[in-house]
Amino acid sequence: MMRTIVLGILLVFVHILESTLFEYIRIGGIGPNFMIMIIVSFALLRGSKEGMLIGLVAGLLYDISFGLHIGPTMITYMLIGYTCGKFNKNFYRENFIIPFICTLISSLFYSMVNIMALVLRGTLNFGYFIKSVMIPELIYTITLSLIVYQIAYSINEKIEERERDSRNMF
Amino acid sequence: MKLNKKVKRVGIISGILLVGLIGVGKVLNIPVLSTGVNYVLYPFEKGITVVTNGISQVYEHFRQVDELIAENKALKEEVDQLRAKQVVAEQVADDLERLRSALDMKEVYVDYAGVGANVIGRDYGNWNKVYTIDVGMNKNVQNNSVVLAEGGLVGHVEEATNTSSKVITLIDSRSAVSVEVSRTGDVGILRGDIELANDGLCLLEINGEAEIVKNDQIITSYLSDVYPPGILVGRVEEVKVNSNDLVTYAYVRPVVDFEHLKQVLVISAEGE
Repeated sequence: MMRTIVLGILLVFVHILESTLFEYIRIGGIGPNFMIMIIVSFALLRGSKEGMLIGLVAGLLYDISFGLHIGPTMITYMLIGYTCGKFNKNFYRENFIIPFICTLISSLFYSMVNIMALVLRGTLNFGYFIKSVMIPELIYTITLSLIVYQIAYSINEKIEERERDSRNMF
Repeated sequence: MKLNKKVKRVGIISGILLVGLIGVGKVLNIPVLSTGVNYVLYPFEKGITVVTNGISQVYEHFRQVDELIAENKALKEEVDQLRAKQVVAEQVADDLERLRSALDMKEVYVDYAGVGANVIGRDYGNWNKVYTIDVGMNKNVQNNSVVLAEGGLVGHVEEATNTSSKVITLIDSRSAVSVEVSRTGDVGILRGDIELANDGLCLLEINGEAEIVKNDQIITSYLSDVYPPGILVGRVEEVKVNSNDLVTYAYVRPVVDFEHLKQVLVISAEGE
């Protein structure tokens, strides 16, 4: 229960910050994708099921606020959460290489989905998409993911501690 | 996290209820989900925008004092000159009015009743240009209402909820506007393009036989269902030479500065 509330508030908070204040941290018009960092971090820490749920809520928030249809971002984020959650069993939480690589691949995947959508609408200048949007976004996102993973790790530790305490009470 | 029976049952029932609610909303044309989410997001987004605007105003206030003094002096001189010119202009305007009534001509520009709004949220992805504004059905804004700023076209309202609405801009790659070149009357399609959008430009696709040159004025055409005719869009920045004669492409610079868009005006396309 505690976990649901904290993560729900976290997602809404990051969504609001990204759509208002974080336009000031854009470099050359390109901003990082905090939602992917959060989804990957919590999926790695908690497993597929929670990763998928967080991806669902994050994608839904984006689609409702800025998308034309409900679904595309939601499904992409859910896939990212589910796949990254599969690595939950076999990695040490203190290790930061796997979150880094997972964020890299997830960000690539998300950009690929967006490029696919554009290609289906008939714009074919891949060179520009890759050079000027995909790579800068990727670099920005994976750099910040190192920090975001540490924050997610400490939030998760706090929640798990709370959950252990409440279990001992009964 | 093992799901027990009770949690499963609650989940299934609430899922069915939610789908039912959205279905009813679709039938009655009420965006249930977005309205709910926007009620949560609206106060925060609005609050943050107000605070950032306030802070930047205070900052500007202190930064610009010296500039303002110099500017004030220059402006006073200009006012004196303009006063003299105004007298002449008034006479010309009187003449024009008299001649117009003689010719029984109609006003060139129609005034649209509108409601002012602030931009309170921007799409944080790097692919699309969608904004959230702080008026909705409560201020009589509907789907497909037209959004203007600084006298030029911004885009249209994609989805209006009770408190806020979603605006798709001209430079979004999913938007297409029917426009005409005001000098020649040739009609073409203005599309958003990601590559150009980062420079604040968009792409005009027009008949190959159309005569179009740099600095031509582009306005909305009479063909659109959404946009009323005669709204200023922008000026031609560059005409691309094309190998075939079927289509001419041109880059258009909109009047509106999409990077620093803060206040907009929403008008209803239906009018009276």
